[in-house]
Amino acid sequence: MISFKEVTKIFDNKKILDHISIDIEESAITCLIGESGCGKTTLLKMINRLIEPTSGTIMINNQNILKQDVIRLRRSIGYVIQQTGLFPHMSIKQNIELIPKLLKTPKEELEKKTLELMNMIGLDAKEYLNRYPSELSGGQQQRIGIARAFATDPDIILMDEPFSALDPITRVSLQDELLNIQSKHKKTIVFVTHDMDEAIKLADKIAILDEGHIVQYDTPEKILKYPVNDFVKNFVGPEKIWSSPELIKVKDIMIHHPITCRPNYSIFYCINKMRMMRVDTLMVVNEENELLGVLYAENLNNASHQNKLARDFILNDFFVVYPEDTLVDLLKNINIHKITTIPVVDKNNHLKGLITRSTLLTYMSKQFLRDGEE
Amino acid sequence: MEFLSYIIANFKEIISLLIEHIELTFLSVFLAIIIGVPIGILICYVKKLAKPVLAFSNVMQAIPSMALLGFTIPFLGIGSTPAILMVVLYSLLPIIKNTYIGIEGINLQTIEAAQGIGLTKWQILTKVQIPLALPVIMAGIRISAVSAVGLMTLAAFCGAGGLGYLVYAGIRSINNFQILSGAIPACLLALFIDYLLGIVEDLTTPKYAKKEKKSNLGRKIILIICGIIIFFFFLLSLFPKESSSRQITIGSMDFTEQEILSYMIKDLIENRTDISVNQKLSLGSSSIVLNAIKQNDIDMYVDYTGTIYGSVLKKDPNSNVEEVYNISKSQMKELYDLNILADLNFNNTYTLAVTKNTALKYNLQTISDLKKVDQELRFSPTLVFMERNDCWIGLQRVYDMNFKEIIPIDGAPRYLALLNNDSDVIDAYSTDGLLMKYDLVVLEDDKDFFLPYQAVPVVNNKIISEYPEIEPLLKELSTFLNDSVMRELNYLVDEERISPELVAANFLKQKNLIN
Repeated sequence: MISFKEVTKIFDNKKILDHISIDIEESAITCLIGESGCGKTTLLKMINRLIEPTSGTIMINNQNILKQDVIRLRRSIGYVIQQTGLFPHMSIKQNIELIPKLLKTPKEELEKKTLELMNMIGLDAKEYLNRYPSELSGGQQQRIGIARAFATDPDIILMDEPFSALDPITRVSLQDELLNIQSKHKKTIVFVTHDMDEAIKLADKIAILDEGHIVQYDTPEKILKYPVNDFVKNFVGPEKIWSSPELIKVKDIMIHHPITCRPNYSIFYCINKMRMMRVDTLMVVNEENELLGVLYAENLNNASHQNKLARDFILNDFFVVYPEDTLVDLLKNINIHKITTIPVVDKNNHLKGLITRSTLLTYMSKQFLRDGEE
Repeated sequence: MEFLSYIIANFKEIISLLIEHIELTFLSVFLAIIIGVPIGILICYVKKLAKPVLAFSNVMQAIPSMALLGFTIPFLGIGSTPAILMVVLYSLLPIIKNTYIGIEGINLQTIEAAQGIGLTKWQILTKVQIPLALPVIMAGIRISAVSAVGLMTLAAFCGAGGLGYLVYAGIRSINNFQILSGAIPACLLALFIDYLLGIVEDLTTPKYAKKEKKSNLGRKIILIICGIIIFFFFLLSLFPKESSSRQITIGSMDFTEQEILSYMIKDLIENRTDISVNQKLSLGSSSIVLNAIKQNDIDMYVDYTGTIYGSVLKKDPNSNVEEVYNISKSQMKELYDLNILADLNFNNTYTLAVTKNTALKYNLQTISDLKKVDQELRFSPTLVFMERNDCWIGLQRVYDMNFKEIIPIDGAPRYLALLNNDSDVIDAYSTDGLLMKYDLVVLEDDKDFFLPYQAVPVVNNKIISEYPEIEPLLKELSTFLNDSVMRELNYLVDEERISPELVAANFLKQKNLIN
C-alpha cells in the first residue's frame, strides 16, 4: 500500500499540494484525475521521488520512501509516460531490457522475460524487437512502454497520462489491454489522467484533485452517483453515468415502497387498493416482508364479486431482480421475459422495491430532460 | 606537365610534410575533443558556467589566428607546441558549443523517463544523453577538424612544419608549383577529413533518424581502414624519430638563402662528422629565430651582422664592417651567451631596386638619384624594412627621402608588385636571386648608409664545447662563398625551381666539400 501522510509541496511559493493524505490500495488501479495544474502529476511523481515533498511522509508498505535509496526505489517501480518515454536511440529490445540488464539479470532469463512481455502486450517479438521506437505506431510504442514498466516485475506501476496522445480507437484498445493485463497480474497501478471516461473505465478508485486538495476519493460508482460537491459534479459532467450504464443499479431506479398486500387479504380489498393507489399490481408479502407472489389486476377481472383471498390469485411464477443488478442486466431481462413489472428482492427474498415500465421510462428520460433544460 | 614533374621530383618532401600535417592536425583535434566534450557536458550541469565558457571560446575564435600564434610563441617557443595550442584553442568552440546544444536539445521527457525508471546520473549521461547528442557533437568535431587542417598551415610560421611550409616557402620564392604542392594536398586533406567525419557523423546518427537506409558496410570499411592508418601515424608521432645521441638542430629564417645555407650546413656536418642534424626551416624573421636559439629550440643559425647590430643591439647605423662584426660578437656573448663564428664571406646587405624601365625613365643609378624623383614614386618595402632604424627610418633621414606612397608588402610578392607596376621601388637583399631573375637595377648606396650584413653563424655554447669539429667546417665552407655565388644559388632556387636541398648538395659536391 502506498500511503501519503500530510504531504505538502511548495514550488516557487505556490502550494502545488496541500496536506494530502491518501492511501492507495494494493493490486488495484487508482486514477488521479483533475484539471491541469491540480497537482495530480506532482502527486504521482512523488511516488518514485522525481519530485520530493516539501513536508509530510510517503510510505510504501510501511516504509518511508524518502529514506530509501532513490535508484533502487525507482527500479522497483514501473514508470510509463506519455509519448517520448522510450529512448529513440535504442531498439525495442534494448528499451525493454535496459533496467534488467543493469540489474545483471542472467541472459537466458532476460530473453525469456522479454518474449513473455511481448506476448503480454500482444506484439510479435520477432517482428518488433529489433525495430526502433520511431518505426512503431503511437499505440505500439505505448504498449512497449507498458512492457518496459513490467520488465522488472515491479509491484507498483506509475502511469502518467499514458494514452492521452493516442487516437480514440487505439486508446480504447489499449485501455482494454491494460484491464486485461491487470486482471492477470494484479499490480498496484497509479494512473494519472484528465479523461473522466478513462478513469471510470479503468479505475477501482478515483481521486479527484483540485488546487492541491483531494476533493473526493472513492469508487467510480460512488463518484458518479454521489458527487460530494458541485466541483465534482461539474467535473464528472452532467449525467456522466449514462455513458457507463453498468454503474446504474436496480436500487437506483426502483420504487422503494411498492404497494403490498398480505395473502389473506380479500380480493375485494385488493382491487380497491389498486384503484386508490392507481397501480395494476400488488406485491404479496408475509409478515416478514418476504415476497410470496405478485397480484396482477388483469387476472382479477370478474373476481371482485367473489369472496376469495389474495392468495388464490397469486402468480408464483414471477421474475425478480436484486438491488445490485445493473441497468444493463435489467433491460436484458425485460427484453427476454417480456415483463413490465419486476419486484426487487434481497438475497433472503425480502421485498426491497419494484421496477415498472414507467419507473424505467421516468428514470431514463431524466438525462434528456436535464439536457433540454440547460 | 611541369607541375607534375615538380610534384614527382619533390614527392618525398611533400609526403613527409603531409604526414606531419596529418599528425599535427589529429593531435590538435584529439586534444580539442578531450578538452571540449567534457567542458560541454560540464556546462550542461553547471549552468552558471555556460555563458562565460561559451563567451571565452567565442573570443578565442575571434582572435586572428596569426595573433594567437604570436601570443603563444614568447611563452612556448617555436615548434609544434604553439601551433597545436593555437589549433586546439580554435577548435574548442564548435566542439563545446555542439556538445552543449546536443545535450540541451534532448527532450526533457526522455530525461525524465530515464530518471523515472531508475538510471543514475552517470547512466543517463552515458546511455541516453551522449548517444542522443552524438550526431550533433560529431558535427561540431567535423567543423573543427576541417578548419584545423586549414589553420595548421600556419604551423609553418613557428617551425612546426606541415603543408603550410610549402605554401609559405612558395610565396616567398614566387614558386607557384611549390605553393600548389602545399595548397592542393591541404585542400584534399580537408575534403577527405570532411568526408571521413561525414561518414562518422552519419554512422552515429541512429537508424531511426535517417530517411533512407543504405548499407553502412562499405563506409564502415573505409572508416576502419582510415582509422587504422591514422592510428598508425599517431603511434609514429608518439615515438620520436630515432635520435642519435649526437644531434644538433639548426634553424633558418624564411627566405631562400637561409634555406640553402641550412641545407649546406646540414649536408656538410652530416657528411663529414657523425653528428646528425635536425632542421627547422623557415621559422620566420631573425628575431623569431634568435628567440628560438635563446630558448634552446635550435642550436645554431645564420644571421647577418647588420641585423644583430641594428635591430638586436639597437645601435646606430655604422658602415664599418669590422667594427660592426666585433661589437656584435662581443655583445651577443655578453647579453645572450651566444657565439658568433667567423663570417661566411658574403654580405647580404639591403639595397633598393627598381625595374630597368624606371631606371631609364628617371635616369636612376644611386639612391641619391632616387631622392630627386621620390614624390613621383611608390615604395613597397617589407614590414621589417619599415620598422628598423638601420633601414627605412635611417634611410629617410640620411637621404631626406619621402615617397608618394608607401605600400608595405612582405616577401617576394613585392617583386610582383614591382613588375605589375603597382609599385616603383622595393627594398632588396644584395644576394637575392630574384634581382637576377627579374633583371632589376640595384641602386648604389652612395652615402654608405646601409650596414654591412655579413652572414655569420650564431651558435650556442653546446656547439662550441661538444661539437668543436663544426667550426672549421664552416670556415672551410666560407672560402667557397661570396656575394655573387650566393646570388646565383638563390637564382637557381627562385628561378630555376630547383629545390634548395638539391642546390646545396650540388654546390657542395661541385666544390668537393662532400662526396
